[in-house]
Amino acid sequence: MVQRTLFEKYGGFSSVSRVVLSFYDTLLDSDDVGPFFDDVDMGRLVDHQTKFIASLLGGPSSYTDEQLKQIHAGLNIRDTHFDEMKAVLCQTLLDHGFTEGDVEVVAAALEIRRKLIVE
Amino acid sequence: MSIAAINEQLLRAIGVGIALLDAADLTFKFQNDTFQDWFSPDSSQPTLEDLLPQLDVEVMKSQIAETGNYTIEFSFKKKRRTMIFAADFSSAMENDHPLFVMVCQNISRIREMESMIDSYSKMVERNTRELKREKEQVEKLLLNMMPRSVYEEYKTFGVVTPTLYDPVTVLMLDFVGFTEMAVSTDPSVTVSELNDIYSAFDRIGEQFGCERIKTIGDAYITVAGMPEPTPDHAMAIANTAIRFVRYLKRRNEGHPNTWLCRIGIASGSVVGSVVGIQKYVYDIFGPAVNLASRLQDCSESMEITMSEPVYKAIQNEFLVEPDGSRVLRGFGEQQVYKLRDNRIEFRGQAFPGLGGDTESI
Repeated sequence: MVQRTLFEKYGGFSSVSRVVLSFYDTLLDSDDVGPFFDDVDMGRLVDHQTKFIASLLGGPSSYTDEQLKQIHAGLNIRDTHFDEMKAVLCQTLLDHGFTEGDVEVVAAALEIRRKLIVE
Repeated sequence: MSIAAINEQLLRAIGVGIALLDAADLTFKFQNDTFQDWFSPDSSQPTLEDLLPQLDVEVMKSQIAETGNYTIEFSFKKKRRTMIFAADFSSAMENDHPLFVMVCQNISRIREMESMIDSYSKMVERNTRELKREKEQVEKLLLNMMPRSVYEEYKTFGVVTPTLYDPVTVLMLDFVGFTEMAVSTDPSVTVSELNDIYSAFDRIGEQFGCERIKTIGDAYITVAGMPEPTPDHAMAIANTAIRFVRYLKRRNEGHPNTWLCRIGIASGSVVGSVVGIQKYVYDIFGPAVNLASRLQDCSESMEITMSEPVYKAIQNEFLVEPDGSRVLRGFGEQQVYKLRDNRIEFRGQAFPGLGGDTESI
C-alpha cells in the first residue's frame, strides 16, 4: 500500500494552492525576507513557490537539491532569513488546518534543505 | 443624509478603484478609498500621467473619442508586489466640464492563480510523462515474462485463468557439463555467454513463432502452438531445434568455451498459468513438458530426441531416424526418434528470407 502524501491528505492542488498564495502574500509583506523578492517577476516567484511547497508536501515536484542550491546562490540568505521563512510557512500551514504533527514533518523536511539555501 | 452623500459614500467604499479625471489635463478630481489604497498618489503625482507613466494617454484619448471607452491592463508595483489591474476609461460630463471616469479592478489574484496553475500543470504533465515511461518499462518486463495475450488478460482482470493448450510442441534444452563450467570458469563470463546464447535462441524461436517460456539456469524451454494455436507446431519446434544446434556449432568454432546442448521435443497438451502471488511467473505444466524433459535426457551431446507424435508430424520434411524404445519415467515404454540436420534441404528452401544474423544458421 502506497502511503498517502501530505499533499493528498490535505486535498491536493485545490487546497495546497491556497497555502501557496497565502505563503506568498505573507512573505512579500514581511520586511525581513520580502526584500529578497523585490526584483523577482511575479510569475517566476509563484512558479517557484508552487513547486517548492508541492515538493515539501510530497506532491509532484521538479526541484532537485542542485536546482534549489542554484536558485538561491548569491542571494546572501542568512539563517535568520531561513528561520523567518520557516516560521511563516509553519504558521501558514497551521492556518490552513494542518495538524501540528504534520507541520513538524514539513518543518523537518524543510530543515534538511537549509544548507542548500543558506550561505 | 442626502442621496448624493450616500452615493459618494458607496463609491468610496466599494472594492473597485474609481477616479475622476479632468479630460483636459488628466488631473485627479476624485479618487475613492480603494483607488487611494492601491495607488496612493502623492502631491507630486497630480495627474494620471504622473501616476502611471506607462499609460499611453494619446491612445486613450483617441479611443474614448472614437468608441466612448478604453480598456487596458497594466501592472503597478506596490512596495515589492507586482499588482495587475484592468482599467476601464469612459467619458462623462459635470456641469459642462468634460471628465474621464477611470474604473480599476485588481486582477492580481487571477494572474497569480494562472501562474500557479501553469506551474502546477507543467509539473503534472512531467509526472505523467514519467509515469508513462515507467509503465512502458513495466509492460516490457512483463511481456518478457508472459505471452502478450496472457499479459492483456492479467492487465484487464488482475488474474490469469489457467488455460489448456492442446496440442503444442515443447522444446527442452540443457547444456552438457554446465555445472562444471559454471564453477571452473569465471562465473561472470559463463553467465554473459549464456545470456548471448539465450538471446540468440530467443531470436531464432521468434522467427518460427515459438514462445519462450522460461530459463532455469542452463535449461531453456520454448513452446510452439501457444498462446495462438498453430497446426505446424511440431514443424516450428523442429526447425527451431535444428537451428539451435547449428548456432551452437558455429559459435563453438569461434569461441574458447564450448557449449554443447541436449534437446528433447514432445507434443501434447500443457496448461499455462501465472503462478505465485508476490513473485509471479508464467509457467506451463503438463505431460508434454515432462516428456520433453525425459527425451532431453535421452539425447547425447548436440542431439535432438523426439517423441513419436512429433516424428509422425515432421517425418516427411526432416531427416529423422528411429532410435528404438526406451522406458521413460512416468511414460512407460516409448518409441524415440532422433532429429538430424540435413542442411542442404533447408538452405533457402523451406524458410527463405530469414533476416538477421541467424539467416545462415
